[in-house]
Amino acid sequence: MLLEAFVGALFEVLRWDALSFMLIGVVAGFWVGLLPGLGGGTTLALMLPFVYRMEPVAAFAFLLGMHSVVSTTGDITSILFGIPGEGTTAATILDGHAMAKRGEAGRALGAALASSLVGAIVGAGALLAAIPVVRPLVLTFGSPELFMLAVLGIAFIASLSGRRPRAMLRGFLAGALGLFLASVGQDPQAGHFRYTFGSLYLWDGLDLVPVLVGFFAIPEIIDLAVRGTAIAGEAPRGRLGGVAAGVRDAFRYFWLTVRCSLIGTYIGVVPGLGGGVAQWVAYAHAAQSVPPAERGGFGKGDVRGVLGPGAANNSKEGGALVPTVAFGVPGSSAMAILLGAFLLVGLTPGPDMLTKHLNVTLAMVWTIVLANVVAVGGSLALLNHLARLTTIRGPLLIPILALLTFVGAYTANNSPGDVVTMLVFGGLGYLMVRYQWPRAPLVLGFVLGEIAERYLWISVARYGAAWLLRPVVLVLIALTVAVIASTLVQYRRAAAREQGA
Amino acid sequence: MKALLAVLLVVLLSVLTWAAGTVAQAQTSFAGRTITIIVGYPPGGGYDVMARLVARHLGRFLPGNPTVIVQNLPGAASVVAANQVFSAARPDGLTVGAVNRNLILGQLVKAPGIRFDMARFAWIGSPATETTILALRADLPFRTPADLRRADPAPVIGATSVGGSTYDFPLLLKALAGFNLRLISGYRSSGDIMLAIERKEADGRAGSYSSIKAFIDRGLVRPLVRGFASVPAIERLPVDEDLVGDPRARAVMRLRSVPEVVGRPFLLPPGTPAEIVAAYREAFRRMVADPEFEAEAERAGFELKFTPGDQALRTVQEVLSAPPDVVRVFSQFFRFE
Repeated sequence: MLLEAFVGALFEVLRWDALSFMLIGVVAGFWVGLLPGLGGGTTLALMLPFVYRMEPVAAFAFLLGMHSVVSTTGDITSILFGIPGEGTTAATILDGHAMAKRGEAGRALGAALASSLVGAIVGAGALLAAIPVVRPLVLTFGSPELFMLAVLGIAFIASLSGRRPRAMLRGFLAGALGLFLASVGQDPQAGHFRYTFGSLYLWDGLDLVPVLVGFFAIPEIIDLAVRGTAIAGEAPRGRLGGVAAGVRDAFRYFWLTVRCSLIGTYIGVVPGLGGGVAQWVAYAHAAQSVPPAERGGFGKGDVRGVLGPGAANNSKEGGALVPTVAFGVPGSSAMAILLGAFLLVGLTPGPDMLTKHLNVTLAMVWTIVLANVVAVGGSLALLNHLARLTTIRGPLLIPILALLTFVGAYTANNSPGDVVTMLVFGGLGYLMVRYQWPRAPLVLGFVLGEIAERYLWISVARYGAAWLLRPVVLVLIALTVAVIASTLVQYRRAAAREQGA
Repeated sequence: MKALLAVLLVVLLSVLTWAAGTVAQAQTSFAGRTITIIVGYPPGGGYDVMARLVARHLGRFLPGNPTVIVQNLPGAASVVAANQVFSAARPDGLTVGAVNRNLILGQLVKAPGIRFDMARFAWIGSPATETTILALRADLPFRTPADLRRADPAPVIGATSVGGSTYDFPLLLKALAGFNLRLISGYRSSGDIMLAIERKEADGRAGSYSSIKAFIDRGLVRPLVRGFASVPAIERLPVDEDLVGDPRARAVMRLRSVPEVVGRPFLLPPGTPAEIVAAYREAFRRMVADPEFEAEAERAGFELKFTPGDQALRTVQEVLSAPPDVVRVFSQFFRFE
């Protein structure tokens, strides 16, 4: 029965009108992803008026086709130029752009695209698999569980920090700074203004996009200017290809790719964590899973640091559709906009989507998969040309990159304040790179701090101290302890081996 | 000589009428121009969806059929956008503001950062109302306001943040109408509260009728009380201010509700010429009655009801002239955000 409907939905997506709308969506999403600042969520909102007169399947083929390739092509900009193409693709910069600088842009792009495709398929599969069990899957996660998930994510800072005591201290301090920055703005519980210094701009807190754009892009531009060469300037000539090698990497570390896809899916399924989180938790998990002896290269161009976030930022979309479709509760800001599209085409999200309108839901599964196949295929064809961009001389490239950075920071909210934020975080990012402070813990603290605060407040207000005894909370506490303990044990062993040697 | 004078007079008159005609035309025709609607919120929310809906249709009803585009200027619950339209935009009818209905209450309680006077905008009006209701899980034994006064233990009401209708509506019911409620704020969005209700972390919530309607239809929650602004479907629900005896308490509740009548404010910069304002009001009036606009607005979940600018302005003046003791009590409960 389900299988029959599943195959039937494929044919609905392959009908000429749905298919052509999907292809238009994919082409639009391709560019939206590449251009920094033009975000997937914003573009979805701009496209909403076009779906008023479309059939449901065609409308979602168009919107989802666009939205599900944005993270795929966003990775390309992140890797090539160190500028996050999307707010959700910043984590691929750390290792991906480091690889590009070594002349391995092709391999990094191949790995990102292959992992994106795997992620999209896993995410779509999750949407399909979730159909029978969607209620318990979503409803077991209450506020206490969400708080502990955020804490678990923050615990990964331990493995992102390096093992010398000094490096670890710096990682923790960077993470604490991230948590602190997350508290800027009007607090969501009592409405107090925290660290806003009387400015309207800081009311809503620091926006993720200008923070990430400045934090990652500015240091790269300065670095490029100082070196005076091309991005891949120090690389020996003739090593630019490697796309196939990157694709092979995705399968060499296949289980890592799948695990990170599942992490992304799960974070997508649980409403309340938001779209920017999945990539960082997946990145941290990838770092955690690398043997300590090899971890020194992490953050300096390890392909596993590309595969993790590359997979997770695609798989989360399929996951995020689960609560959107089944409960009418969006899992991310982009999904909140998609929810509007449901109403416009005359559908009410909710249990009906799994019975009466099952064909539309299944068509969404197919759209995610097909759109990513098309986007990845198209990107692979262009990839060697794209990778060659890293051999353009710096002085020619810098004005374009600087322009993209400014436009990227400004267009998110049309706010001049965002440009200032971008520059401030650019300066901070540069100093952190220069003095070898890890940047990933700061971002992890920043994206998870607000979530942790929010759900701790609700948990205590609702349950008093009793929330600590909920079974899933206990499991998550044990996992958090295990993450920290295993990291410390690994480091101690590695240190002991070094002393013995 | 007389004839010459007469000819001159005729020429002068015709030139004058011609000139006056072109001037009048220049003032009320937007042919070939582009009108920008500045929305105080990011893309995707209710204010943005309404602005984009208006942008799709408004051009058909304005003289000269101009192009209408939307620009998002989010920040500080649309205070940034209102400041911009109030002082930076030219009063030539080419810039329209679409802002938070509660700005007027923000002005009343002197929220920080406000550099505009709501009574001085050239009001176009509002194409829709918003109705706040309180709804509780349908499997709980609460059917009337009396049940909620007797409730023990107090049902948990989820809210997004302090300020905003998910919080202040139940807070007033609790403080002034004696409802026994336990308010828990901090949820990220009204959708997240709905999910908390599904998993029984919360027992109910307040919010706009349009956002809760689907969950009422599905049988998850049951509406119990509404605010002053209303739509036909829930006309018969008890109104919050009828549940209190004290006139001051009534006035406080009314103050919270009144901006909802002007649910989606559209306004022009102060000093916009009267002909332009009149053209806009007429265009909005015809647009809201247009079947095509109606159909699309209904699908997007809006409760269409045009409040013309002069009436909106009267509402604003009514709010701003509330007696100080009412404002004092109101300020204890209301936080602008």
